[in-house]
Amino acid sequence: MSHVVSPLRHVLIEGNKSYHNITEDLCSPTEKAPTREWYIAFLLSTAFFGLYIFTIVWTVWKGIGVWGANRTINWAWDITNFVWWIGIGHAGTLISAILLLFRQRWRTGVNRAAEAMTIFAVVCAGQFPIFHMGRVWLAFFIFPFPNTRGPLWANFNSPLLWDVFAISTYFSVSLLFWYTGLVPDLATVRDRATGFRKKMYEYASFGWTGSAKHWQRWESLSLILAGLSTPLVLSVHTIVSFDFATSVIPGWHTTIFPPYFVAGAIFSGFAMVLTLMLITRKVLKLEEYITLNHIESMNKVIVLTGTIVGVAYLTELFIAWYSGYIYEQFAFYNRVFGVYWWSYFGMMFCNVVSPQLFWSRKIRRSIWWTFFLSIVVNIGMWFERFVIIATTLARDYLPSSWSYYSPTWVEIGIFTGTMGLFFFLYLIFTRVAPVVAVAEVKSILKVAGSQYIGPNAKHGHGHDHHDSKSVPTHRTEEEA
Amino acid sequence: MLHYNSRHMHHDNGIWVSADDLNREDKFLQSAEREFSLENVDQTDGKWEASRRDFLKILGFGLGAATLASCEIPVKHAVPYVSKPDEIVPGVANYYASSFVNGGDYCAVLVKTREGRPIKIEGNTLSSITKGGTSARAQALVLGLYDTKRIKNAGSVANGEVQTKEWAVLDREIKAKLAENGNIRIITGTILSPTAKKALAEFTVKYPNTRVVSYDPVSSAALLAANEQAFGIRAIPSYKFEDARVIAAFDADFLGTWISPVEYAVAYAKRRKIFAARGGKMSRHYQIESHMSLSGSNADNRILVKPSEQGAAIVALYNELSGSSGGPKLNEKAAAAIKKMAEDLRNARGKSLVISGSNNVAEQLYVNKINELLGNLNNTIDFSAPSYQRQGDERQLAEVVTEMDNGRVSVAIVWDANPAYDYPDGDKFKSAFAKVGTRISFSGTMDETTALCNYSAPKHHILESWGDAEPKAGHYSLIQPTIAPLFSTRQAEHSLLEWADSANLNRNDEQPYYQYLKSHWASDLFAKQTKFGTPAAFWDMSLHDGVFEMPAAARSVSFNSAASLDASAVTQPSNAEIEISFFETVNIGNGQYADNPWLQEMPDPITRTVWGNHLLVPVEYEGKKIKGWKGLIEGDVVEVEVSGKKLTCTVTPTFGQMPGTVAIALGGGREKGGSGTGYGVNVNGWTKVAGGLVQYAGVANVSDKTGTDALYACVQHHHTMGVQVQEGDKKVNADELEFFEGALTNRSVIFQTHAKELEKMGEKMEEFHAETTHLNEQTLYPDNKDYFGTGVKWGMFIDLNACVGCGACQVACVSENNVPLVGKNEVRRHHEMTWMRIDRYFYGNLENPRVVYQPMMCQHCDNAPCENVCPVNATNHSMEGLNQMAYNRCIGTRYCANNCPYKVRRFNWLDYTTADLWPGNEEKVFHANGDDKPFYADNLVRMVLNPDVTVRTRGVIEKCSFCVQRIQEGKLTAKRENRALTDSDVRSACQTACPTGAITFGNLNNPESSVNKARKEAGVFAYKVLEEINVRPGVDYTAKVYNSNESIS
Repeated sequence: MSHVVSPLRHVLIEGNKSYHNITEDLCSPTEKAPTREWYIAFLLSTAFFGLYIFTIVWTVWKGIGVWGANRTINWAWDITNFVWWIGIGHAGTLISAILLLFRQRWRTGVNRAAEAMTIFAVVCAGQFPIFHMGRVWLAFFIFPFPNTRGPLWANFNSPLLWDVFAISTYFSVSLLFWYTGLVPDLATVRDRATGFRKKMYEYASFGWTGSAKHWQRWESLSLILAGLSTPLVLSVHTIVSFDFATSVIPGWHTTIFPPYFVAGAIFSGFAMVLTLMLITRKVLKLEEYITLNHIESMNKVIVLTGTIVGVAYLTELFIAWYSGYIYEQFAFYNRVFGVYWWSYFGMMFCNVVSPQLFWSRKIRRSIWWTFFLSIVVNIGMWFERFVIIATTLARDYLPSSWSYYSPTWVEIGIFTGTMGLFFFLYLIFTRVAPVVAVAEVKSILKVAGSQYIGPNAKHGHGHDHHDSKSVPTHRTEEEA
Repeated sequence: MLHYNSRHMHHDNGIWVSADDLNREDKFLQSAEREFSLENVDQTDGKWEASRRDFLKILGFGLGAATLASCEIPVKHAVPYVSKPDEIVPGVANYYASSFVNGGDYCAVLVKTREGRPIKIEGNTLSSITKGGTSARAQALVLGLYDTKRIKNAGSVANGEVQTKEWAVLDREIKAKLAENGNIRIITGTILSPTAKKALAEFTVKYPNTRVVSYDPVSSAALLAANEQAFGIRAIPSYKFEDARVIAAFDADFLGTWISPVEYAVAYAKRRKIFAARGGKMSRHYQIESHMSLSGSNADNRILVKPSEQGAAIVALYNELSGSSGGPKLNEKAAAAIKKMAEDLRNARGKSLVISGSNNVAEQLYVNKINELLGNLNNTIDFSAPSYQRQGDERQLAEVVTEMDNGRVSVAIVWDANPAYDYPDGDKFKSAFAKVGTRISFSGTMDETTALCNYSAPKHHILESWGDAEPKAGHYSLIQPTIAPLFSTRQAEHSLLEWADSANLNRNDEQPYYQYLKSHWASDLFAKQTKFGTPAAFWDMSLHDGVFEMPAAARSVSFNSAASLDASAVTQPSNAEIEISFFETVNIGNGQYADNPWLQEMPDPITRTVWGNHLLVPVEYEGKKIKGWKGLIEGDVVEVEVSGKKLTCTVTPTFGQMPGTVAIALGGGREKGGSGTGYGVNVNGWTKVAGGLVQYAGVANVSDKTGTDALYACVQHHHTMGVQVQEGDKKVNADELEFFEGALTNRSVIFQTHAKELEKMGEKMEEFHAETTHLNEQTLYPDNKDYFGTGVKWGMFIDLNACVGCGACQVACVSENNVPLVGKNEVRRHHEMTWMRIDRYFYGNLENPRVVYQPMMCQHCDNAPCENVCPVNATNHSMEGLNQMAYNRCIGTRYCANNCPYKVRRFNWLDYTTADLWPGNEEKVFHANGDDKPFYADNLVRMVLNPDVTVRTRGVIEKCSFCVQRIQEGKLTAKRENRALTDSDVRSACQTACPTGAITFGNLNNPESSVNKARKEAGVFAYKVLEEINVRPGVDYTAKVYNSNESIS
C-alpha cells in the first residue's frame, strides 16, 4: 500500500502521529471500559431493537393487516424503508472499492466504519423484504433449489428475485471485504490483549503473523474484492430500481431509475457515514484520523450526488410532460400537487436545495452544519422513496381504486426498531474492533523518508512550506 | 392382578396360570409378589438406577412421544353415507328450481346444492318475469340459511330471548288463547302465495274474529289505490319497458328497488344495448327526482325537483300534455325541462311510459291519466297479467294499531313483517302492541317485533320451505326445500293450519304442508290448465321447472272518468330551506335484508359505502374544490332533526343530490337485526303520514359538523371522470385532482358519447384502436399472439350500456368464490376482498352528472404485468388464457397487486377466513354483531362455502379466476359427453347473475360463441381498458352511450 503523496497535499492524519500513537489511539476503545455515553446509547438502541422484535412478531402473528397498507397501496413504509436502508448501505463499498481504485487516500480514515455501516444497513434493509411477505414462513420459496414440487423454480423474470441475488451478493461481498480488512487489525488487538480476549482475537485474526507473505496475499485479496465490489455498488441499487422500473405503473415505469437510484444511494450513504463519523470521532476522540478534510471531501460527494438527484427529479418532470401521455403526466402532477404534496416538497427541499449549502467552504467544513445537513439529507431520501412508492400507488390508472395510506404504530415501530438494530450492531462494533483501519492508516503515515511531509521532516524539498500548510488546517478545526 | 397379591383371594375365580400357581408354591408366590421386579434388567444389584442406555431409550421415547403428541392435528372424520341417497353424488351439484320470495320481492331461482347443502342461487330462465335474472338480494339468500342468529326453537319470548318450548306445548297454549274468542289480527307483508292465502282463509273460518292486514315495508298503497280508482283493478300493471321509447320515472327507482326491479331491468336493457340491436332505437330515460337513485344514475336526463315538488312536476307534465293549467308551482328549471320532456313523450305516443313512486293517490291518478293521454294504456301498461308484488296498505295497519291501542285485540300474529322497526310511529306501535294479550311472531330471526312478542313460532328459512307464489296473475312459482330444516322450526302456514285444527293438514305426514300445497295445486291450479292430463304430471313438471305460467287473456283498461284529478291533493311545495327524502337501498331494503352480511358489505351502487346508511348531501364547487354542502366531507357527523326527532347521522356528499335537499336511506339502525344490528340510523320515524299513507319525505334541520365517524367505510371516494363546472366563460373540470385538461376525462378507461354522435365516436375509437395497435407492436419481445390461437381461449365481454349497476354479480361472485367478508372496519381500511366490483364514475355536469358503471374484475391479461413480477411463479398463465393463482405457492409479496393496472388483486391482510393454524390473531377480522368468535369460525356459517373453491389463508393474494371451477366442470361435462365445449357449458357466476345480460363469457376461439358475437356486434366500440399499455386483457367493454335530450340543460 505504498503510495506517493504530492507535496502539495494536506496531510491526511493530523497531530504528528507515530505508528505507536496510531495503534494506541485506535485500539484503545476496544480495551477500555465503555463510557457512560456508550452505555446510554447502547441501552437506548437495545430498547428500540426490542421494539423491533416485538413489532415483527406482532406482524407475523397477526398478519400484514396490522399495517396501514391496503388494496391499492400494497407497499408503503415497508419497501420505503427497505430502499432507504439499502441506499444507506452504499457508501461503505463505494469508499472501500471505488475510492480505492481511484486512489483516494483519504478514504482510509473512514472506510472501516463506512463498511461496517454498510453491512449493518444491509442487515436492516433485508428485514423488510422478508417480513413484508404475507407468509414469511415460506420465504424459502424464493430460492431456486431442487425440490419435489415439480421441480418448481423461482421466477427468474421477477425483479424481486433479482433483488434476492443482488442483495445477498452485495451483503456477502461487503462482509468479506470488511472482514478481510479487519484481519491485520484484529491481530494488532490480539497482540496487545491478554487472557480470554487474546484467545478470541487469535481466532478472529486467523493466526495473522504479519509476514510479508500474509501482507502480499492480503493485498491481493483486497484488490480482488475491490474489483468485485465495484460493479456491485452500481448493480445493487440498479436492481432495486428495477422493482419499480420494470412495472407498468406510471411513475414507476421509468428508464431513468437505475442511475437516479444509484446516485441517490451514494448520496444518502455518504450522509449517513457523515452522521455516524461525526459522532464517532467525537466520542472515540478520533478527530485526528477523521479530519475536517475527510468531512469536506464527503460533503463534496454529497453536493455532487445531490445535484445529480436533483437533475433526475427535473428530468422526470420534463419527460412526463414531453411524453404527452396523460397517465405519466398525471402521476407527476400528482406527486407535486397531489395528496402527498408535502412529501414531494420535503424531498425536493432536503435533497436538492439543502446540499447546495455545501458550495460554501465554510459550511462544508463546519461540523454542526455537516451534521445537521447529513440528517436532513437522509430525511429527504426517505421522502424520496415514500414519494416513489406510496404516492405513485395511491393514484394510478383507475380513479375508482385510488386510496390513501397512513402508517400504523406497528410500521412506525418496525422502522424505528431497525434503527435500534442498526445502532445496536454499530455500538457493539465500536467495542470489538478498531473503527478506523489501523493498518491502512499506517500505510499513509510517513514518519520519515523522501515522501514525509510532516513537521519533523529531515530532508526533502519545501518542508517548511508544507509545514506551514498543515498548521492552518489545525487552526481551522479549532475555529470550527 | 390382585390375585397375585394375596393367597386368600387366590383362585376365587377358579383360574390359574401355571402348575406352580395351582400348587401355590412359595417360589411362585414370591415371584408373583414381585411381578415388576427389576431382576432381569441389566441392573443386577437390584437397585433401580437408570443406565446410560435406559436413559437414552427413555429420552428417545419421551421425545418421540412428546413430539407426536404435540403434532397431533385433530382428526375430523368424514363419515360416508350408509345408504347413499339416489340424488346425491359427492362432488356433483344438484340444482332445484325454487323461488326467492320475501314479502313482495320475488325472483324465480335455481338453488345449487352440493352434498345436500344449498350454496348458490342462480336465476331461473324459465320464468317469463325475471327471465333468469337475479338481484343481489336473491343472490344473498343462501347466507341467511346459515345465519347463526336464527331462532332455533319455538318458545315463549322473554327479554328478547326465546325460551324453548315443545311445539306441541306451544300449540296447546296458543290454541287456548285463540279459543278465547277475542279479536285476532294477523299483520303480514305482501303475501304472494295462493296456498298461504288458502291457509289464512282456513284460519279465518276457524276464528272468524280474525283480520289479516298486509303492508309493505316501503309502501305502494297509493299506486294500488289509484289503479283501483282509475282502472278498477287493485294491482300493478305489467310495465313494458322493452317497448317504451321514452320513459319518465317520477321518483320511482324501478331498476333498483321499485316493485319488481329484476323484471324491469331485464326489459329496460333491451332498449339500451344499442350495439346488440344496431339500428334499434335507443330509449330515452327521464328521471325526475331529488336524490340520485340507481335508476336516476342510468337516466339520460335527470330533472331535479325537490321531494315536495313531485306533485307539482307530475301536474306540470299533465298540464303540458292536456293543455290545462294550474296546480302547484314548480321550480323554473324543472318546469322548462318537463315541457321538453312532454314533447318527447308526445312524439312517442303509445310507446312511452310514465311511472311514479309516489305514495300520494292524487299523484298516481295524474300519472294514470298522463299514460292515458299518451296512449300508453294497453300498450306499455298492460293489465292482462297484473302484478301482485305489492299488496299492502298501511292504512289497514294503522287501523289495527288503533284497535290494539284501544285494547280490542287479544291475539296478534306477525308474519313477514317488522312493524316495531318500520312503522312510522314506532313508539305508538310498541305501546299499542304491548296491550295485546297474546303476541305471536313467525319470524325466523329475532327482530324488533319478535322481541316484543310473547310467543315465537319460527318459520323455516325459505330454502327449507315448501310454498308457492303468484307474483303476477297466472304466473305461478314453486318453492321447494333444498335442505332438511336445520333447526326445530316450522312453516308459518303449517302453524296457522295447526292452530286452525285444519282437517286438510295431514299431521301424520312427514311434511304436512307439502301435502297441503300439493293438494291445493291439484285441486285448484290443475283445473286451470290444459297442458297436463294428471295432477301428478302437472305437479312434477311444475316442480321441475319451478314455474308454471298460464297464458293471460288480453285485458284492456280505460281510465274511469269518475276518477277525478285534484291538483290540490298532490304534494304541495314547501318553502323549507332543506328538504329530506327517504329511499330504499338496493341491498338492504327497508331493513328486511339488514341481517345479511353479504348485502351489508355490498357497496351501495351510488355512494359505494357499506354497513349503514348515511345522510346524502349535495356537493358544491367552491374555491376550485369540490366539497359537500356546508363544507361537509365524507364521514363527518351531523345532527339532523326531522319533525322534532333528532338523530345523529354520518354524511356522504353525493353527486346528483339536488341543492337544498338531503336524503337518507331507510333500513339502517336495526336494534335487533342479527348481524346487521347497530349499523346506521333508523329513519322510519321521520316519515310522515298523509291521508293514512306514508310519505317518504319531509323537512330537515341539519346541524353543522359535530364530529367524525371513525368507522366511515367507503370503497370508492369521489374521484370522477371529470365532472365539469362553469368557471367564468368556460367549462372546467371540477375534480380537485384534475390538474390539466384531460387528466381524468381522457383516460382510456371509459369511453362515452351521445347516441347522435355515435358515428363520430366510431371514428375516434377506430383511431384509438389504430394507435394502440401501433404502440403495442413496439416491443422487443416475440409476439405470442398465436399461442392462444388454438384450443380454448377464455374471454369476457361487458356491455356498459346494459349494466345498470345493481350489484347482483358482485354478490354472486362472493357466493360462488367464497370471498370472505371483512367487516366495516376492514372495509374502511380498504381491505375489502371482493373479486368483482362495480366502479362508479361521474361525468358531465357537476350539479347533475351522468353516471357510468363499470364492472371490474381480473382482466386475465395475456401479457399480464402481475405474472412476470411474482418471484415464486405463484401467478401464471394457462394455455387457455386464464391468469391463474396458485394460493399454495403465494408468499404474499403483493408486487402483483401493485403492478396490476386494474387493482383487482386482493390480499388476505388478516386471517379473514379463520384458516390459520393458530387462533388468537382474529380479533380484527369480521365478527357478526355481538359474537365472540369470528364470523367464519362457526361451522354453520361455513356450510355456505363452495367446496369447489379453495378457502384462502392469511397472507396470500386472490382474485377473479373467471370461475375456473365452472370452466373445469364444463370441460369435464363436454369431455364426458364426447363433444366440443359450447357456450352453455361454462357460464361465470357474474354472467348468470346479471339480469340485463351485460356480461358475456366464453371461448374466443369459437367464432360462434356469444362472447365473440357480442364483440363483433360492438365493432369498433369494443375496447379494452387501458388498451395502449399492451397488457392484452381478456375482457372487452363497450363504449357507454347516452341518449339525453340535449335541449335540456
